[in-house]
Amino acid sequence: MPGSPPFGRARPMPSAMPTGTAASGRTVGTAPEGDGAAAPKPGRGPRLRRAVGTQSQVRRGAGTRLPGIRPTALPAKGGADWYRRGVFYEVHTRGFFDANNDGMGDLGGLRAKLDYLEWLGIDCLWLLPYYPSPLRDGGYDISDFLTVHPDLGSLDDLVEFLDDAHRRGIRVIADLVMNHTSDQHPWFLESRSSRHNPKSDWYVWNDDDQRWPEARVVFVDVETSNWTWEPQREQYYWHRFYSHQPDLNYENPDVVQAMFGVVRFWLDLGLDGFRLDAVPYLFQRDGTTGENLPETHALLRQLRKEVDSAHPNRVLLAEANQWPADLVDYFGDGDECHMCFHFPLMPRLFMAVRREQRFPVTEILAQTPEIPSHCQWAIFLRNHDELTLEKVTEEERDYMVAEYVKDPRMRRHMGIGRRLAPLLDGDRRLAELLHAVLFSLPGSPVIYYGDEVLMGDNVYLGDRDSVRTPMQWSPDRNGGFSRADFAQLYLPPLMDPVYGYEAVNVEAQQRNPSSHLHWLRSILQTRKQFPVFGTGAFDLVSCANPSILAYVRSPDPGGTAGPGGRNRRAGRGVRPGRGARGGGRGEDGPGTENPVLCVHNLSRFAQPAELDLARWANRTPVELLGRIPFPTVGGATYGVTLGPYGFYWFELLGEQSAEPGIPNPGMPA
Amino acid sequence: MTPPDTTVVGVSDAARAALVDLLSAYAARRPGWDPEAPVRVLEAEALVAGRPGIVDVIADAGGRLVHVVLGLRSPGDQPRVVPDGDDGVIGEFEDHDGPAVVIDATRDPEVAAMLLQQVSGEEVGPNLVRLLREDPSSVTLAMEDRISFTVYNHIVDGPRPELEVFLALDETGFNHLAAPVGVWRRAGRDLGVVQEYLPGASSGYALAMTSVRDLYASGGPPELAGGDFGAEAHRIGTMTARMHLCLDKAFGRRTGDMAQWARDVEASLRELEPAILDRPEVVQVLGELRALQVPSEAIRTHGDFHLGRTCRTEQGWYVVDFAAGGRPTSNAGAVVAPGGEGPVFRSPVADVADMLWSFGLVARTAADERDPSGREGLSELAQAWETRNRRAFLAGYLGVPGISGLVPPGRDALRVLTEAFELVRAAVHEARSNRD
Repeated sequence: MPGSPPFGRARPMPSAMPTGTAASGRTVGTAPEGDGAAAPKPGRGPRLRRAVGTQSQVRRGAGTRLPGIRPTALPAKGGADWYRRGVFYEVHTRGFFDANNDGMGDLGGLRAKLDYLEWLGIDCLWLLPYYPSPLRDGGYDISDFLTVHPDLGSLDDLVEFLDDAHRRGIRVIADLVMNHTSDQHPWFLESRSSRHNPKSDWYVWNDDDQRWPEARVVFVDVETSNWTWEPQREQYYWHRFYSHQPDLNYENPDVVQAMFGVVRFWLDLGLDGFRLDAVPYLFQRDGTTGENLPETHALLRQLRKEVDSAHPNRVLLAEANQWPADLVDYFGDGDECHMCFHFPLMPRLFMAVRREQRFPVTEILAQTPEIPSHCQWAIFLRNHDELTLEKVTEEERDYMVAEYVKDPRMRRHMGIGRRLAPLLDGDRRLAELLHAVLFSLPGSPVIYYGDEVLMGDNVYLGDRDSVRTPMQWSPDRNGGFSRADFAQLYLPPLMDPVYGYEAVNVEAQQRNPSSHLHWLRSILQTRKQFPVFGTGAFDLVSCANPSILAYVRSPDPGGTAGPGGRNRRAGRGVRPGRGARGGGRGEDGPGTENPVLCVHNLSRFAQPAELDLARWANRTPVELLGRIPFPTVGGATYGVTLGPYGFYWFELLGEQSAEPGIPNPGMPA
Repeated sequence: MTPPDTTVVGVSDAARAALVDLLSAYAARRPGWDPEAPVRVLEAEALVAGRPGIVDVIADAGGRLVHVVLGLRSPGDQPRVVPDGDDGVIGEFEDHDGPAVVIDATRDPEVAAMLLQQVSGEEVGPNLVRLLREDPSSVTLAMEDRISFTVYNHIVDGPRPELEVFLALDETGFNHLAAPVGVWRRAGRDLGVVQEYLPGASSGYALAMTSVRDLYASGGPPELAGGDFGAEAHRIGTMTARMHLCLDKAFGRRTGDMAQWARDVEASLRELEPAILDRPEVVQVLGELRALQVPSEAIRTHGDFHLGRTCRTEQGWYVVDFAAGGRPTSNAGAVVAPGGEGPVFRSPVADVADMLWSFGLVARTAADERDPSGREGLSELAQAWETRNRRAFLAGYLGVPGISGLVPPGRDALRVLTEAFELVRAAVHEARSNRD
């Protein structure tokens, strides 16, 4: 069905608005100025009007609401590849800020905190699912794809929020679950009701539960089978996840169109992209595990084409918990997803620090293939899920995960989500080190809300909720999250002496210049000045000391940067011309950027490091945070010493031209 | 004076005569070499004519066969030096290309790159050459982070035993090796070897020290410590077993003589550390060893096996540096061929014992480093760490299918053998440290 929204049922409108569906046939009447609204803000383009019946798009003035027509947000500014350079922030709307004081965070609250996010230096927000849902799986069980859960606000709220975010240069992506719906979704309610109805083939039905036995059960602790019996149809339905999340049938072109319509709907509204949840599981085939099938990739290619044609510069981020060699398939030839989460890296970052050796990290990077141009990894320290082994690759393929599980400290945390700070026993130096590694490894970093102030968790709330407590804004009641009664809050805030909101909150850390929050903000500012962190190539630097993790990020003119082991490029050793002294910022392209050397000490003891920098001989390292030049590189190895959990980021400036009177900072006095 | 039996290619008569003096000058620069030793040039070949040129010399220096590579540069040429190296100038001479400044080829990156090209066909950029290691018998250069080029300076007539072992292992498909790229050989003598360079490698010793230091700082059972080395020790064990199986495949095996081994152990201990023979636990082990009636095999072994002879990269674990001259550090478990010539075959348990002993050495070294006075009382932790990792190593070793055919059957036999061989290894180490 072209044009009109794919699902024709009436959506509830906010009470101030006249009722009626979007496809009501109402023509756009006079300009909104007639409503007494404010004149359009300067800088905005002229109002676009299109005939009703198509995807009507009208840009609104601030504060106006056009009846009946779905408003959309201003597009974000900025060019292609923004997602390769940006910093992402994963936020749980319900837990961020409560604007209407009903005890739950909402979109209005998110919008109110955009100042903070802009101040922090975030480039893109990733919203956990905000759709209507019975909430039996944290919102990943969706019962309506085309609106917002009433607890969190309305579509108008979302549009206003998107507008505001875009105005600040912040993009927004949202979770989209393609693989399944909630069993409360009207599609399923219809499909399950009988064997012959318009939706009967929208899900995967079978007379017995024996088909596709090779497909593993993902949530083994809760489900025993991927099939569940439906008495109304006297058939089984297929679900790779919980039994209340039936899988959609992508063999059915109606399903494909419906879901593409969902994608179009949100992109039209102004969303900048999606995190595609559970993409490997879309199709099933006899004799296969039902993961990573070629049909899935074909569908993603189709989806990407759709998205690119109508909405360039949006991002598709795949959640595919696979080994890197399989993961890269989700980039296709640059014609599938733009980004993928690099899942195996995360536990290895923690193991590397536990072991005080770099090999857990360098091993996985060596096994990570190069990715196509204009693609990017998403890397992270924590997220909203515990490290569920069921969802991670088979143990025998990753001995590191097996060791991670057996490690007694990590084992304590299995099955329970932990935030970063408690996982590190609140060690701030270690938190800084891990962030330094995260921000300098190839990939776009994703910060989990609250980790910027080293928020804690509450394991007694259960595996998911432990890390979804309200954001702690101030020492005031409810942590400044809401003015509702404490008893109304969707989850209690943390109140213990170590991580409670009186001790850990944004306000206090904003006032304290030596707080972790300020540190994080300032390192993000530094990172932003050097595009090479986002788009540069990656080369490990040899060092005999196993506790040192060192590498160089260098400008990559070909746009093919990736960790893929030792990256041999012709462009290595780019010697910038005069003027490099001040440090190229890459505004004029990669030729003016300098490589950046990153050295990290994974040990809690001070360590000496002899780095093999022969490739960078005669360059002068200038430390990025203090801009102090260090001795020029010469000699067989370059010696540095690092304090416990210390790190250095150096810009490697080119050879100095001889300018009289200006001493070479590398020379001893 | 150049004797008439010298093989000389491309080097003028006058230059030949100068070579003797040049070699003595060279010897003066090499620690462990005797500049006074009489030199007799046996072979000299101009590998590269012109300037810069290369002359390759084999000589007898005081009864020892030496191999020296000389670079020739025009006087006035800008010296090129490997980072942290000296200028490598040895002297001067003149040949049909004119006068030349003679330099140590391994000190001049351009010349070294030329030499590599001559010898193996590999081309490297001269600005990425650095000195990796130098000892009295060889020099190793790292080139471009991917090639390791070793020039042997003490050579032997015939194949070099440790190289022979390394090459044969590679042929069998043992892949825990820095793969050989080429061997430089002339007239049956091994002059050098070009191998894959392992960038980002850390030695097993460094990794083990990291683990022990972590344990000493945090205490508690070693398997619960963050820096637990057990999994890595297990992997080293697996690698060791694979190595032994491949050595067996490459060189075959000889029958071991348990009774002879018992006698040899006692004799070695008597020679190195006689006081130890009075200790009750030593007496017991030797008794048990003499009483062992199990069959045993001997293979060509690594011979100098310890944590420092392993290294790890992001690809995994590697074995490096087989026993120089094919002579094992400790003769425990050796099977002596008639006449005493030829390669040494040993019980594979001797390599195992050497490695197990090195775990103890690491634990003790780290304890001494942290607490020289012994006041902290780290010996319990040291013992715990050692026990944990010995077990893990053995589990990895014995877990490899087929290894049971090489080691004596029965846990007791293995225990007795390793204990006895370790005693000898420890005594060898003691004797060496006392000497130095």
